[in-house]
Order: sequence, then C-alpha cells, then structure tokens
Amino acid sequence: MSTRHSKAAELFLKDKDLAAWHDETLWMVRAKRDNQSKQLPEWEHLRDMACAIKMYSNSHLDQLLLEFEKNALANGAHVYWAKDAEEYCSIVYNILHGHNVRHFIKSKSMLAEECGLNEFLEEKGIEVVESDLGERILQLMHKKPSHIVMPAIHIKKEEIGELFVKEMNTEPGNNDQTYLTHAARKNLRHKFIEAEAAMTGANFAVASTGECVVCTNEGNADMGTSQPKLQITAFGMEKIVPDRGSLGVFTRLLARSGTGQAITTYTSHYRKPRPGGELHIIIVDNGRSRILADKEHVKTLNCLRCGACMNTCPVYRRSGGYSYTYFIPGPIGINLGMLKAPLHYYDNVSACSLCHSCQNVCPAKVDLADQIYRWRQKLEDLGVASTSKKAMSGGMKFLMERPGLFGFALKNAPIANSLPRWMMYNDLNDWGKEHEMPKFARESFNEMWKKKKV
Amino acid sequence: MKVGLFVPCYINAVYPQVGVASYKLLKSLGVDVDYPLDQTCCGQPMANAGFEDESVKLARRFDQLFEKYDYIVGPSASCVVFVRDNYGRLLEKEEHRCQSEGKIYDICEFVHDMIRPTSLQASFPHKVSIQNSCHGVRLLHLSSPSELNIPYYNKLRDLLSLVKDIEIVEPERPDECCGFGGMFAVEEHAVSGQMGRDKVKRHIDTGAEYIAGADSSCLMHQSGIIAREKWPIKTIHVVEILASGL
Amino acid sequence: MSSREDILESIRRNTRMRYEKPDYAQLEEEAVKYPDLLARFKEVMPQMGGRAVVLQKGEDVNKVIKGLYPNAVRIAATMKEVRCGEGMQPVTCATFHPDDVRCSGDLDGTDLAIIQGRVGVCENGAVWIQQDVEQRAVYFIAEALVILLDRHNLVSNMHEAYRQIDTGEYGYGVFISGPSKTADIEQALVLGAHGARDVTVILV
Repeated sequence: MSTRHSKAAELFLKDKDLAAWHDETLWMVRAKRDNQSKQLPEWEHLRDMACAIKMYSNSHLDQLLLEFEKNALANGAHVYWAKDAEEYCSIVYNILHGHNVRHFIKSKSMLAEECGLNEFLEEKGIEVVESDLGERILQLMHKKPSHIVMPAIHIKKEEIGELFVKEMNTEPGNNDQTYLTHAARKNLRHKFIEAEAAMTGANFAVASTGECVVCTNEGNADMGTSQPKLQITAFGMEKIVPDRGSLGVFTRLLARSGTGQAITTYTSHYRKPRPGGELHIIIVDNGRSRILADKEHVKTLNCLRCGACMNTCPVYRRSGGYSYTYFIPGPIGINLGMLKAPLHYYDNVSACSLCHSCQNVCPAKVDLADQIYRWRQKLEDLGVASTSKKAMSGGMKFLMERPGLFGFALKNAPIANSLPRWMMYNDLNDWGKEHEMPKFARESFNEMWKKKKV
Repeated sequence: MKVGLFVPCYINAVYPQVGVASYKLLKSLGVDVDYPLDQTCCGQPMANAGFEDESVKLARRFDQLFEKYDYIVGPSASCVVFVRDNYGRLLEKEEHRCQSEGKIYDICEFVHDMIRPTSLQASFPHKVSIQNSCHGVRLLHLSSPSELNIPYYNKLRDLLSLVKDIEIVEPERPDECCGFGGMFAVEEHAVSGQMGRDKVKRHIDTGAEYIAGADSSCLMHQSGIIAREKWPIKTIHVVEILASGL
Repeated sequence: MSSREDILESIRRNTRMRYEKPDYAQLEEEAVKYPDLLARFKEVMPQMGGRAVVLQKGEDVNKVIKGLYPNAVRIAATMKEVRCGEGMQPVTCATFHPDDVRCSGDLDGTDLAIIQGRVGVCENGAVWIQQDVEQRAVYFIAEALVILLDRHNLVSNMHEAYRQIDTGEYGYGVFISGPSKTADIEQALVLGAHGARDVTVILV
C-alpha cells in the first residue's frame, strides 16, 4: 500500500537533518503568518471578503474579462486570449519573434511553469533568463521549483555557492547568503539591461482599470519591465478582480498569508505601455473555464498562489515539494493536479492526513481538505483506488456490518497480543514500521457491559 | 434526557477503560445513560480512505440503533464529528432522514456545553500535556485553532481545570497534526511516523507525564510510537482523568 | 470561432450559480486605524527594512539627505523642489534628472534616487509612487532610495490608500515598502536583491 508520493516522502525523510530543517523553516514562515494575522482584528472578516470577491469574480468571468479587455485596449495594450498552454506559448513566441527578441527576461510566473513556456522558447532559440533569485538558481541547476513562493527552499547554500563559482565567478567556499545574493544582483543587472523584452505574470488583473498588478519582494518584475520597451504580461483568467477596492482586500492578505510580511516590497500596477513601448497582455484559460462547472472543486479558482497551505501542511513540510507528482505541491497542488489530469496525478491524494489546517490558513477560503476527501471518494470510479486499501476497507465493512461477528472478533482479539514478534512486525505491516501494535484489552467494553462490570 | 453511549470500535477493543470512564462520568453527573449493544464502527476509516459508500450501511444501522435516545455521546471527537458532518449526506443516498447528526456529541463537548459542571470529584496529581486533535479542534471546535484570529478557548483545558492537583500544559505547535489520519498512517507511514515522533517529542518537552486527549485514535498512534521509541511519557483519555476516583 | 469567442463561450456554458458582488464598506469601516499616523509610520518602516525620518522645522532637506548618504556621488532627483510645510525647498543635492540619460540602462550606477511619494500606508510602510518621469527604472535601479512624502498624506490601511491613488498619464504606479529583499537562499533575509538596498522615507 503505497503511492508515488509516499515512496518519495520516505526517501526525503531519510536525510534526517535536511528534512528537519525543511519542516522547521517552513513552520517558521507559518508562525510569521500567524503573527501578522493576529495583528489585524479584522483578519477573519478579510478572509471572508476575499472569498466572497472571488466567488463573485469567478462566477462573472465573462463580464469581467470583457470589461478588462475593453479598458486594457483603451489603455493602449494589446490583448490576446489563449485557450491552452500551446496557444499561450505560441502567442509569446510570436510576439518575441516579431520583435527580433534574442534576450528575454522573465519574472516568476506559475502560469509559465504550468504551460512549459521556457522549454518552448528555448527550443526555438530564444534565451530566457529567470530573474527571481530562487528561480534563477533553479534554472542554472536545471531543476524545478519545490514551492510556489519559495521555489529553491530545498537547496542548501553550499550547492548555490558551488553553482555561483561556476556561473558568476564568486569566491570558492564563500557561501554567505548576502554575498551570494549580491553576486546574483550584479550578474543579473546586465541581463536586465541587455534584454529586448520582459515578461511578468500577474497576481491580479483589475477589470475596472485594465491594469495588471504584480507583487514581488526583489523588484525583479520592475527591473525587467523598466528596461526593454516590450512588456508581456500573462495571467490565468481567475486572476481577474473587479476593482481597486478589491485590491485593498487582497494586498492585505497575500503577503501576510504567504511569507508573513505586512506587504511585499513592490506592488506594481501596469496600466499603459511605456512611452514608445508596447504592452501585450495574454488571458489564459488552459482548463480553468471547465472547472467552473465542477461545483465540488470550483473554489480552487479562489487560490491566490500565496503558498500558505504548503507552509502549514504537516505532510508537505515533511516530504518536500518534489515528492508530489504535480508541479504545484501541497494541498492546493493535490487538488489542481486532480483537476488537470486525475489519472496522472492521483498519487498525491494520499499526501493528506485530513488535519484541515490548510483550510484555516487559506486567505481565500479554498476548502482544500474537503476537496481532497472528495477526490478520495472518486479514485475507485477512476479505477485507481489502492487495491490493498480497498481490501482493508472492504474487510472492515464486512466485519462492522455484522455485529455478531464483530462481537466474536472483540472476544478473540486478545489472542493477537501473544503472536510472535516476527509475525507482527514484517514488511507487510506498514504500521509496524513506525509503531508498536496496540494491545487488545483482555476484555472489550462489550464483554464488560454484558457481564455488568461497567 | 436519555443518553445513548457511543463506544467506537477501536475503543471497544483496545481502550475499554475509556468507555467505562465515560459511563461513570456521565452517571456521576446525573445523566440517564445507556449503552445499546451491537455497536460496531461509524464508518470513518473507510470514508477517509476513499470508500465512503462502504459506510452507508453502517450509518443506517447506527442511526437506527440510537433512534430512541435524546443524545448520542461518545469519547472520540473524530468519530463523533464524522457522524455529525457526513451522515446526513450519506443517508440522503438511502432516502433516509438522518436523526443522529443533530444530537451527537463528543463527551467532552457534551459535559462542557450541556452539563456545565462547576466542580468535579476528580483528582489527578500529574502534569498533563493536552493533545488538541485536528478533528476535535478544526471540525468539532473543542478549542480555538491556532490558525484563526479568534479569542483563545479550550474546552479540554476548561474541563481539566476542574480536576484537583493537576498541572495542565500545551505543547509547542499546540494543534499540529500528530499524523494518525486513519489509513494515512499506513499508506503514508514514513510521514505519519515522523509527524508522530515530532508530536510526542513536543509533548515530552513540556515536562508532562501524560499526553491527554479527547481522541483515542491520536493517542493510539502516539502510544505506538512511544512504545517503539521507549520514550518516557504515557497517554490518557481526558475522560479517564475526569472520572478518576469514581 | 476565435479563441476569444471559444473561451467566453466555455465560461458561459460552465458558469453555474452567479454570486453577488460583496459590499466592502463594513470591512473598510472596521479595518485597523491608527490614532497617531506619523508615529505609527515611523514605527513600521524599520520593520520593513527601511527608515522614516521626519523633517524638522527649518531643517534643510538636502542636508538631511547628504547626512544620510554622505558617499553618494551620482544622485538622481525627479523633482526640482519640494513643498515643506508652508514653503518650498529646492532639491539641490541631486546631480542629474533621470530623463537626462540616453537610455534606461544608463541609470545603472546611480547611487541615490530622490523620488516623490504620494501616499504612505501606516499598516505596512508602503508608499505609493505614481510614475512622474519617463524612465521609471530610476525607482528600482538606484542603490538607495529617498522618498519624499508629505506627512499629511498618511493613511492607516490599504483600503484607504486605494481610494486615493492613481496611475496618472504614464499609466504606472507602485507601492514600495522598504528596500528590495529576498530570502531565496535558505530563508535568510538579504536586503538588496535587485532594487534599492536602502530606503529612507523623509516625511516633509
């Protein structure tokens, strides 16, 4: 009885120090989030409001996207609509190709990750440079993010130090975080200046103004978009919000929830192209409109991609982002993976003890654990339910539906206590790998009641 | 007021003393309590594992078994909240109107909210660390979840405070999951085991002699770990403490 | 059909229940408010990694800036003068205007940029910058940033801030809260990732 997640998790936990560090570090972020949330008496009201706004905006996408488009066009932007990943990648490529772009700088975008943009462009000969420090480190290492907000959380500074010696001529053995960060600052400065186009994702797209809002701490989105005159911004359509009033709600929640900061350093509002420049905006569906019809899972579209559910998840903290088979890990990733392709990503559904902490930290109140519970109910119909789990559950059902048999079992269970150890603790018994077996009482409550011993 | 005592399957088999303590405690508080025989399982293990349909028949039986009682009270927050939150929906499939969901209580919740004793006979001269279980905290609202910005409350602490000579503490990360989660503990045994060891260590770090909780399932998981690691702490159900001396 | 039509059609086909737009008024009403805005702003800036300095009566803003950044050589300013209380003070410590450069890349190597803030937010130290020069790169590329902000333009929270801001003729604006930062290497906080390493808000 194991899934690809559980096997990968077991491997992750073998490096005890790294696993403990990972857990502690992400818990610290959760603690910072708690501290921030507790400074605002209106915190829970803010979450309710964020949820209500998203329920409104995601049920009025047709109207809000058209309003956004009208305003963005009036602002002088170009607007494109992409049905799927391929169309999105092609649109980006065509814009770049049409402008003879050879050097292309990008700030972090989970949408680009979702659609495989970098691979697509590189295959066509366009150099893509990631400008978020964590993303840049991973790009140079040819690795994928293991967290959506702290993408390189699983990499140790010694590895980064070694990488930078090769890539940025830093002093060998100097793994000081400040030193390494400033080396990257210097190195990327040139990349920003030589780029012919810059791209960002968007945290919010505001229908009433046609502007896109991007939140960063490093300032990389703004360094990028203030150098070349060609800007591309793409967002998944659930990023639409009705107006600036709603930004007041979301900007108060996003960083507090995600990293435990009162706000990100930069909250940038891109409304018009730069003088003499161009602004191209791509609205992406890629499966999102289909989710609207799924009333059990439609709330995943509320997600702000803050990462709070990962930081609080006791399983994510102890298994790491790579143990999940979908590119977004943790509670939200389990659900998004299932919505994307259940037969590909069902292995992640086991990665949840149903503790429900994720639902309580989610700033937009996505019912993450409830949804995972619902996915589990669907595995059998999908034909991917674990056979041993099914057998165990079926065995229990058989027994529990028969009170006489259950009573008989209760009476005889203590015999199991005296089984030899090798029969109890072997490879077939996954419980026995971590625990001793519970000892059955000499007399069950049933027996005691019948004998009037209670 | 007639109360039907609900003794979940694994408590029946492994922790009968918790059932006994529950009965005695309710009796001592003047409650008319009865134990309907032929109880088995509420169906939660199957449902959490993804086989909810396998619990429908059990729900039906459960609902009938407790039909004649005004309240159903059981010493397991997780099983109780499974009945409360899911039976209505499960029995809808059977076109049966569920009557359990509105009258089932965890015993701590029942004593705290309905009986509201201001004193107890019990004495327990030990230091206990409260096991705030996930379903107890986040689904049954036995205490304020650490994630929410709401005033602190803890019904288990309130009740334990009525016990003489006791010292009550809560561990660091007071309501982080201990890693039980039903079949999760088997399917994801590596993570579950790590969560359990981390949890028990935090309980030990408080200097407590006992881990006291309202969910025997969490306690079973943790005592399995304690036995394997040979760590110096014991587990006990809150009800056993409240009923001590009865 | 175009993708645009396809997508809109798919949205309409799949949209089920339509939820009402919520009213923000009550939330905005109950949102955190600070009785002493100036004191709160001074307190919050260090938490965001920056600092806030209140210009005293009769103090020369240029002297204050020079005092804070004695080694800055290449200094850009987006304004020629700044209103301080009743009167105006000329900004004389700058060495150039950001739009004097040939291209935005030439701003690299700017030691200090002096820019105009519009609204300061006391809950988080964010200051609204509405683009007011052609080369907005100056807000990010300089090693250090001085933001001049009228002390009467402080608000308690983001709800209030959003009622006051706009993106102006350039169609761009940004909230900046303290220096650029990252914790991407082992969660250790480092100031100066890509933008300014050091930020001072001078409340005039």
